[in-house]
Amino acid sequence: MKPLKQLRPQPQAAREDVIVFVVGGYKLAIAAGAVKEIRGMDDLHAFTLGGISARIAKLKYTLERNGTTYFVVDAAQHFQLPASKASRVLVLRNTPTGVLVDSTDRIMEISALHGLPPAFTHEERGWYRGLAVVNGLVVPVVNHNAFLNRSELEILRAGLERVRGVVTV
Amino acid sequence: MIAEGDKSYVLFPLGEKRFALRAETVTELARPDSVQTFPHRTPLLTGVLVRRGRIVPVCDVAQVLVGPAAPPRKFYLIANCKIGARQELTAVPVTGECELASAASVPLTGSEPPYISGLLSIAHETIAIVALEKLICVEATA
Repeated sequence: MKPLKQLRPQPQAAREDVIVFVVGGYKLAIAAGAVKEIRGMDDLHAFTLGGISARIAKLKYTLERNGTTYFVVDAAQHFQLPASKASRVLVLRNTPTGVLVDSTDRIMEISALHGLPPAFTHEERGWYRGLAVVNGLVVPVVNHNAFLNRSELEILRAGLERVRGVVTV
Repeated sequence: MIAEGDKSYVLFPLGEKRFALRAETVTELARPDSVQTFPHRTPLLTGVLVRRGRIVPVCDVAQVLVGPAAPPRKFYLIANCKIGARQELTAVPVTGECELASAASVPLTGSEPPYISGLLSIAHETIAIVALEKLICVEATA
């Protein structure tokens, strides 16, 4: 018989810098390496693209940066929270995605990432990479690729190209 | 004295009623601690506790067993619960002090929900034995 200790999932012991941010009163964290820029709400353009706006309701704005169109998602809506007062945009790296958050708190180093307990079985399994414990405080570390998944990005790119094509013609 | 066939149970109160968990699944009765919450969509889970470096989900079974009118929970009964292929600790908020009792279970009447695995008859009181994993699964898929 295996000792119980071996059956327990061990937290991934890897040091990582994360940016702590606030949405709807909750503190969450995102890998610092996944964030290209933290900026204010300037230069955001309301997103209105026919049926796509209705299909991806959390998508609120676009942002043009260095020739790239970023699709800006309302984090409160992504996490199915009541509307909150966004004041910052996390512009993500390696994906044309921005995330509207209420505020950013600090950058800190976490030493381990605990898996989300399997009792959590709903959408949150996709939302988080795991849970960090910092001075006794549990901070979920978000899965930054979940704000807009691959198929949503493809729909958006296609929609944008279609609109630009119409404008060009 | 424990009669042959008797098993040990932890009896826990939820308002006026008491329920039972098999004693071998219970690891501790914890004092009130700060439940930490974060956005999620799983029914019954109210957050997590950090116990000895481990993250323990808090499952508020009172919502199912006695309804929304249950009084404030005072303690957490921490029990092992098989979720999927894994044994996981789960904290169950209870409304008062718990009791360890030995008794033989009596047959189910057939009208109990699937998460009631048996009944105990202790001093004119009928106490339902809760199968925590079934309760969590039933609610998660509801």
